Amino acid sequence: MKALKIGLSVLAVAAVLALYSAVHVNNTTVALSLLLAILAISARWGLSEATVASVAAVLGFNYWFLPPVGTLTIQDPQNWVALLVFLATAVTASQLSARARRRAAEAEARRTEIERLYALVQSMMLSGNARKTIREFVHTVVRVFGCRAAALYYRSTGEFFRSGPESNVVTDHELLAAAEIESVSVDSDRGVALAPVRLGLRPLGSMTLIGRLPSEQTVCAIVNLIALTIERARAIEEASHAEAARQGEVLKSALLDSLAHDIKTPLTSIKAAVTSLLSSSDHSERELLTIINEETDRLNQLAAEVIEMARIEAGKLHLEKGPVVVAELISGALADLAPAIQHRPVKVRVPDGLPAAEADHDFAMQVVKHFVENALKYTAEDSPIDISAELKSGRIVIGVADRGPGIEENERVRIFEKFYRGRRHRFDTKGTGMGLAIAKGIVEAHGERIWVESEPGQGAAFYFSLASSSGAGHT
Amino acid sequence: MSAGKILVVDDDPQIRRVMKATLVGHNYEVIEARTGEDALEKAPQEMPNLVLLDMNMPGMGGLETCRALRAGSDIPVIILSVRNSEKDKVAALDAGADDYVTKPFSIEELLARIRAALRRSSPESGPQAFHSEDLEIDFQSRRVHARGKDVRLTPKEFELLRYLVAHAGKPVTHRELLQAVWGPDYGDEPEYLRVFINQVRKKIEANPAKPKYIVTEPWVGYRFAGPTEG
Repeated sequence: MKALKIGLSVLAVAAVLALYSAVHVNNTTVALSLLLAILAISARWGLSEATVASVAAVLGFNYWFLPPVGTLTIQDPQNWVALLVFLATAVTASQLSARARRRAAEAEARRTEIERLYALVQSMMLSGNARKTIREFVHTVVRVFGCRAAALYYRSTGEFFRSGPESNVVTDHELLAAAEIESVSVDSDRGVALAPVRLGLRPLGSMTLIGRLPSEQTVCAIVNLIALTIERARAIEEASHAEAARQGEVLKSALLDSLAHDIKTPLTSIKAAVTSLLSSSDHSERELLTIINEETDRLNQLAAEVIEMARIEAGKLHLEKGPVVVAELISGALADLAPAIQHRPVKVRVPDGLPAAEADHDFAMQVVKHFVENALKYTAEDSPIDISAELKSGRIVIGVADRGPGIEENERVRIFEKFYRGRRHRFDTKGTGMGLAIAKGIVEAHGERIWVESEPGQGAAFYFSLASSSGAGHT
Repeated sequence: MSAGKILVVDDDPQIRRVMKATLVGHNYEVIEARTGEDALEKAPQEMPNLVLLDMNMPGMGGLETCRALRAGSDIPVIILSVRNSEKDKVAALDAGADDYVTKPFSIEELLARIRAALRRSSPESGPQAFHSEDLEIDFQSRRVHARGKDVRLTPKEFELLRYLVAHAGKPVTHRELLQAVWGPDYGDEPEYLRVFINQVRKKIEANPAKPKYIVTEPWVGYRFAGPTEG
């Protein structure tokens, strides 16, 4: 191909020389015409063809046009100068033209590569699965860039993704090594490009292209693109895991709700039936029916506390905080416990002007209830209970004090544990043993503190704190 | 003579059974419905005096059923639910229920609630009428006319308004109001008042956010401001 072009170039020069041998013109015209032909050759084909044509033109011009005509010698020293200028001009012009041509070809190649990169970007399907994304990417690179094969090593799973058996030219080992180096290596003799895939400084793996190779910059662009794509697929994957986890939590919460419903529904029938019988029963049956009724209540309480505890442990307490009037909190709790505290001396001390607390009304009330229930459980039937609330260094502290046996120092932390009962009461107390653990869970969900103070033999006082609501008010 | 006709709406057959047995034993006539849809179909046919409505039912559910019942009538509705939070109670009252009972309940408690819901003060006691420029109440015929329009109040809303008007100008405590309107077993349900007062305000006040008639007495309760007070 090259030889043919060179032959044709020489022929073109010969044609110009022949033309001017027939038509008589001055030598300058001949030289300029030859120059024009050489320029055309270099623009069309390249430097080597133009150089050969230049030499041929110099020889021919000298032989046929410079005196003495018919020899390769030159008489007039001026003609030497002209000939050298001609040669220099021809070669320089050829070089410039050839360079321009090369640039254009390079620009064209770059354009094609950019088009292909763009096609690659466009064909990247967004899926929430990093491995699937990589597999597709490898095949897309081969298709879009027209190389023979490609392969990618994905570090986080240690897998190799290959476009096909042709990619075995590059071994797993080479890919592993490429992941550790910094730079891209393009071996055009072997037709292999190897590049690390990194995101910033974080190595994600490595990639190889085999066969027709795009430029080094394009290889860089391809690996950057896959790095970004992997990262995005991973982010989506993680987001969907988080979503799955969230849905799991929602499900758990729904299960707890339906469990509460399913346990309470039969209890409702039992309670309604037994209380109905109680209201019309005679004395002999009354005792037994009362037991059924009380145990139904106990079962109901137990179910409620087990579900509550499960909810706390699952982190499923949904607090709806708002300003809560502390006096109402306490009176509400006492109202719920009304039958049990009927004959108890209960004293409530809430100072006037105590700001409202910022809390979930229902849950905060439950804490008070658990405290009072606890006091009821561990003290004699006529023993007084003191409930107080006060503002202490910006927080509202609510306390329930009893005059029971008190709590030994080594038990003061453990009593807030699930199922823990005071040593002396292990076998003689009703209840689930979860009341204080639930209270603790609720208080901690508020980000507040719960504690007990006790003088053994004198009694115990349970406290919890609540934030004070800045926008205190009551309507 | 029957003490009243009660529509029991619950998806659990055992609960319907025990309710039927008990309520019939207390002289009530009982109709059962398995779902909210079923209840909406039966209510207009049977014209019960009261509805006991389970909150958690498959299908349209208690709250929606309550709203649908309310849209067509002012029949007393008591919602029964296993949930015990104030949020759920308020949601039920907001949907138009007159009362809320937590499952499981003792039958005495339920009967007391039923009696309270059915109870209406006799029209002879208390004020006969109230007139001002944009509010007219006729306690005899139970008609309320506010800002040029007839307003429909549910029986509990009406009782609430009647009690406040009867004590116009004086603050009425939460407890007093609850016991007067719902019955002597009540007194610790301030959320009931919040919901019902809001509903009455929406119906009779020009601007419910800045009430002219039913005024909040902070920390105490409510007061009906008569026209003389401006």
